[in-house]
Amino acid sequence: MIFHRPFSVLSILLAVVATPVAAEPLRLPVLVPITGFLALEGTSQRNGALLALERSTLSPTPNAEVIDTGVTPEGAITAFERAMSGGKAPAVVAPMLGTQMLALLPLAEREKVPLVTVSGTAKITELDNPWVFRFFPGDDVVKVAQARYAVEKLGTRKPALLYQTTAYGQSGRQHLAEQFARLGAPLVFEEGLAPTVKDVLPALIKAQAAGADALILHLHAPSTALVIAQARAQGIDLPIVAGSAMHQPATAALLSPRDLAGVCAETASSPISGGDPAMTEFATAYRKRFSTEPDAFAVAQYDGTMMVLAALQAGAGKPDEVRAWLAANPHQGLAMRYRSDGKGNMAHDAAIVCYDGKSRVPAIVQRYTGTP
Amino acid sequence: MLALQLALNTLALAAAYALVALGFVMVINAVGAVNFAHGDLVVAGGFLAVLFATLIDLPAVALAPAVILAAGGLGLVLSLVAYFPLRRGPPVGIYVSTIAVGVMLQNALLNLAGPAPRRGPPLLDAAPLRFGDIVVSSQAMATIVAAALLLAGVQLLLHRTQFGRRLRATAQDPLMAASIGIDTRRAIAFSFAIAAMLAGAAGLLLAPLHFVSPHDGAALILKAYVATVIGGWGHVRGALFGAMIVAAFEVVGATLVSQPAAEAALYVTLLAMLWLRPEGLFGEPSSRRA
Repeated sequence: MIFHRPFSVLSILLAVVATPVAAEPLRLPVLVPITGFLALEGTSQRNGALLALERSTLSPTPNAEVIDTGVTPEGAITAFERAMSGGKAPAVVAPMLGTQMLALLPLAEREKVPLVTVSGTAKITELDNPWVFRFFPGDDVVKVAQARYAVEKLGTRKPALLYQTTAYGQSGRQHLAEQFARLGAPLVFEEGLAPTVKDVLPALIKAQAAGADALILHLHAPSTALVIAQARAQGIDLPIVAGSAMHQPATAALLSPRDLAGVCAETASSPISGGDPAMTEFATAYRKRFSTEPDAFAVAQYDGTMMVLAALQAGAGKPDEVRAWLAANPHQGLAMRYRSDGKGNMAHDAAIVCYDGKSRVPAIVQRYTGTP
Repeated sequence: MLALQLALNTLALAAAYALVALGFVMVINAVGAVNFAHGDLVVAGGFLAVLFATLIDLPAVALAPAVILAAGGLGLVLSLVAYFPLRRGPPVGIYVSTIAVGVMLQNALLNLAGPAPRRGPPLLDAAPLRFGDIVVSSQAMATIVAAALLLAGVQLLLHRTQFGRRLRATAQDPLMAASIGIDTRRAIAFSFAIAAMLAGAAGLLLAPLHFVSPHDGAALILKAYVATVIGGWGHVRGALFGAMIVAAFEVVGATLVSQPAAEAALYVTLLAMLWLRPEGLFGEPSSRRA
């Protein structure tokens, strides 16, 4: 055997030299926060991208490279650098955390690669960066819907706002404060909560003391569930209109149906609510693949990734060609029809879902349609 | 009325923190070193409660003994892995080994349960209790009662039983304890186990309304550390008092001002304590502080 080894090595080398150089496989880096306080949302984002790639009819299908960004800007930068070191990719699925997106924007411009994200932070499409494409409605869409529903449908006159102290939270706080003032129901109380805060009773007691007639939440998933759980345990039965984190089945799973009575939330879509055959088919495939319930982040990232694949199918092979295609063409996704407004905002519709207190499956009660 | 409401809310939070701090101090007293995995044992208690509630359809009150015993088992394993092999070396070896075990525990939970938070079963699933304008959640009331019973039980164990006297003798002077025939290895192992049982109970009590995630341990160990520094290094009563102070800042401070301001004020108080009374409120030389 020992004598055979040099010949084996030589034959392998010859085979490699003799084989024609194969085309470099197409890659699609998927940079998502799957650990830390955004793990619930980040996992949905990853799953949406992976399912789109797995169901693609494009040949050859790009290989997904999932890299965890954690929840720090440095984590996102490291993940991006690692993704870029593997060669050119036509686009990058970029993390939904606003601070991470803000850190990645200059790098995307330097590398000239489009970032496809579902981040809700308004700022990321306000910096005139042509390489960012957001497939989840931004704060200027969903926060308007959230405020309008609270005031116009629930009759809220004294809203109290609890928001996250992250970039996402600050961005939404500003939009919500402006919207409620514009609708003639200015905030009677507002407080920022760090994602690490576990005892939210002090904020709830202050909101009650301020005479609030509704709680408006703009928080990540764990904080959203904490506020609702502690409010209901304390006997605070105020109506709650939450941010998109609430519509996620994983968030609802932390709460009992009884806790969820009187809770509504803004979102882009609600795949588990049924009603649309294509969405129902997606939900079935998602459950089968990931053994969990899909949410709007998964749908949005699925739609965004599908649009990148449509660009590739249409002949846009290089990153700048994909960017130009995404910027110029509409795309009918599962959640809505996407089209860039010239700044990379692709999603312009919002929905409001509400829970009936008997199950964890919300019903879509209101839709707000915008135009690019 | 607000003052009474805040006092009750503080008491409920302090009750859980007191269990964490007492376990933390028990290990310090037993081996003269900090167990940095203590916060992760609290988290493990929360996850054990979630696991048992999933597997066995019983109320959390019935599951509590199993959770506490299982956490105690983890404490025994911790002592065997992170303390006994290093007991003759410098204390820094034990600090590092407990950090290592804590990280291993975190990663094990991360792989087994995933990164998402989980909600533990409530000890008492009932409507909130109302006394006029004062409202207390049934879980908060159950936490206060359960913690009081556990703290009283530990006090009885330590002060009214031969076993407890052996533990205290070992904590005070291991050489002398060994010379009069006490199995100090056994006493230390049980100190780790009892500390972990208290941590597990705290995890069980916190998980229904604070949820539990694999990385929560770092924040909990910090609270225990601060409570111990404020109360007095190695003092049981000091740890309980320190836990009350930490909870008061988190509840009263956050209600009267804001959560970030309350947190800043707590650490300003901690600094002031280190400058003006480094031995803590209940005494003990600061030179032993890690």
